[in-house]
Amino acid sequence: MKQNFTLAIHSDNNFSVLNRIVNILNRRRVRIKKLMAHENENDFTRGMALILVHTTPDLMEKVKHQLEKLIEVEQALYYEGSDVYIELSAKHTEVAA
Amino acid sequence: MDALLTKIKTAGEASSKKEASPAKMISGSETLLQCLVAENVNTLFGYPGGAIMPVYDALYGYADKLTHILVRHEQGAVHAAQGFARVSGKVGVALATSGPGATNLVTGLADALIDSTPIVCITGQVFAHLLGTDAFQEIDVINTTIPVTKWNIQVTEAKDIAPAIAKAFYIARTGRPGPVLVDITKNAQNEMIAEAEYVPCKNIRTYKPKPELNLSQVEEAAKLINAAKRPYILAGQGILLSGATEALIAFSEKTGIPVASTLLGLGGFPTDHPNYVGYLGMHGNYGPNVNTNECDVLIAVGMRFDDRVTGNVSKYAKQAKVVHIEIDRAEINKIIPATVAVHADAKEALTALITKCDSNQYPEWIGSFHKMKDIEFEKVIKHEFNPTGELMMAEVIHHLSEMTNGEAIIVTDVGQHQMTTSRYYEYKNPRTNVTSGGAGTMGFALPAAIGAKLGMPVKQVIAVIGDGGYQMTVQELGTIMQYKIPVKILVLNNNFLGMVRQWQQLFHEKRYSFTEMSNPNFVKLAEAYDIPARKVEKREDLKAALKEMLDAETSFFLEAVVGKEDNVFPMVPAGAGVAEVILEIPKK
Repeated sequence: MKQNFTLAIHSDNNFSVLNRIVNILNRRRVRIKKLMAHENENDFTRGMALILVHTTPDLMEKVKHQLEKLIEVEQALYYEGSDVYIELSAKHTEVAA
Repeated sequence: MDALLTKIKTAGEASSKKEASPAKMISGSETLLQCLVAENVNTLFGYPGGAIMPVYDALYGYADKLTHILVRHEQGAVHAAQGFARVSGKVGVALATSGPGATNLVTGLADALIDSTPIVCITGQVFAHLLGTDAFQEIDVINTTIPVTKWNIQVTEAKDIAPAIAKAFYIARTGRPGPVLVDITKNAQNEMIAEAEYVPCKNIRTYKPKPELNLSQVEEAAKLINAAKRPYILAGQGILLSGATEALIAFSEKTGIPVASTLLGLGGFPTDHPNYVGYLGMHGNYGPNVNTNECDVLIAVGMRFDDRVTGNVSKYAKQAKVVHIEIDRAEINKIIPATVAVHADAKEALTALITKCDSNQYPEWIGSFHKMKDIEFEKVIKHEFNPTGELMMAEVIHHLSEMTNGEAIIVTDVGQHQMTTSRYYEYKNPRTNVTSGGAGTMGFALPAAIGAKLGMPVKQVIAVIGDGGYQMTVQELGTIMQYKIPVKILVLNNNFLGMVRQWQQLFHEKRYSFTEMSNPNFVKLAEAYDIPARKVEKREDLKAALKEMLDAETSFFLEAVVGKEDNVFPMVPAGAGVAEVILEIPKK
């Protein structure tokens, strides 16, 4: 059964990393509902992509490992539902503002 | 990007530290070549063009350190680099220009990614200020190759070339190996910077190539194995990549467990070992396929449960507990759920398992493989080794195997000849089987054989190819001619795209839709490239023709004309389970 998951992907921040992440999701046909990406406030060489996706728990777990296989990705965490997405994206939007 | 690259001395740093004697200034192109030399590269496969010309200009002065092989198409360069890497265990290197030069590498990159082959491809790119402007021969190579590389990077300043190359080689050869592409803009190639000492990459913050062996996982696996009644080892290419052949032999001999090999795993366990039971997969041996669904513990080592191995996964080894030893975490539970996963390098895991597993013997279990081997012999092999009428692929490969004692490097393409060679060539040693597995790239074998011969010059290298795949990269005969590369080429010619034809026969009511080929005179074609050539059609001439090919000190082309509508059996039909493997055309 498909459901919402929030993916929090911690990675290096370079020109191609977001494409690499989205490529993995596209190839597995994981639906992206919302996406926010930013560089870290204190270290522009690192960043995070926050993605709200709609998929099955089984595929979410498999995609996590495929994302962590990307050279630039340090960690890919996921949480059930959209609460974490709303919380983290709001927090970052506040800081940025 | 700058901040992400490995720190090395830049021009500024170098000049501030060497005030008394200013550092020698060199171009970005020469920096690149110095990096390659520092990485112990001695052979490059490439094709020049506008955006890579500064590198080629610098290469002119490096002829004593770097041998450049001018291929006839960039696809030839990347496959040659693959062949070189597969037999030598080193990183293969290919050079190409921007735009179409770079996109011609894509098939080989994809092939190297799925087959875990360490290569570094270096492409020229237009000047940095022209990026994104649709300049002549400008293609977005980075985004084009993201899905087909382990990693790629674009370099726009000369100071970033050395760190990028250091990372590229480190990533290509560590962990699960794979292809890396470095795209270098022309201004970076031209830019002058201070000569600096090369600093190899040894660590990347976000990349952990080799997991630490978890002994509790090993102990759990050992418990399952020690309690098993019908354990069974499936050995993949991970055995070869981690150099685990000796560990696998020791593990199998201590535990008495039979070993079957995947396509890419061939050579990882000697085919003449008493515990070797055969080759797995769609056209693998009968017993190894059937017994996958009879074993109680399946020990998969360094393999990824490719669909050509599993057939229909819903019918695959449902009765078995699965121990999956694999270095790539993303492969664990991807296709077949593991009862116990050992996320580790194959050699380390097997070495640890040897101490934890009991000595054992399974004569009845191994005997069941032998019984099925007898059935396969009666139904398939006997006929293929002693046919009447036209030559059969199987007998050609059988003789080739005997005449080389299973010790040549065999490079195959894709199709019937590949499956036949995998079944009947009796590989004795690691890194002697070079083929395109996961991608199934027709056109792979001829250029890959060139690379294999240059990677292992002391070995007999034989490219076994079908008439279809041969013509996809046949222009590389020019490379063989120019450099006098003593590669042997054996084309099994049935004037058909044989595997597709076989499927059309079995599953499409023999509607041979565009699979029959009118071929050129292959002997004359080879001779046009100054390659001695011979054609064999009669059984009584076969051994002499093979001997002539093997004895030649130069390259040699041999065309063996085989039956037009011969099929490869056994076969696991599409959608069927491995135990539903068939030995002949089903009776309707």
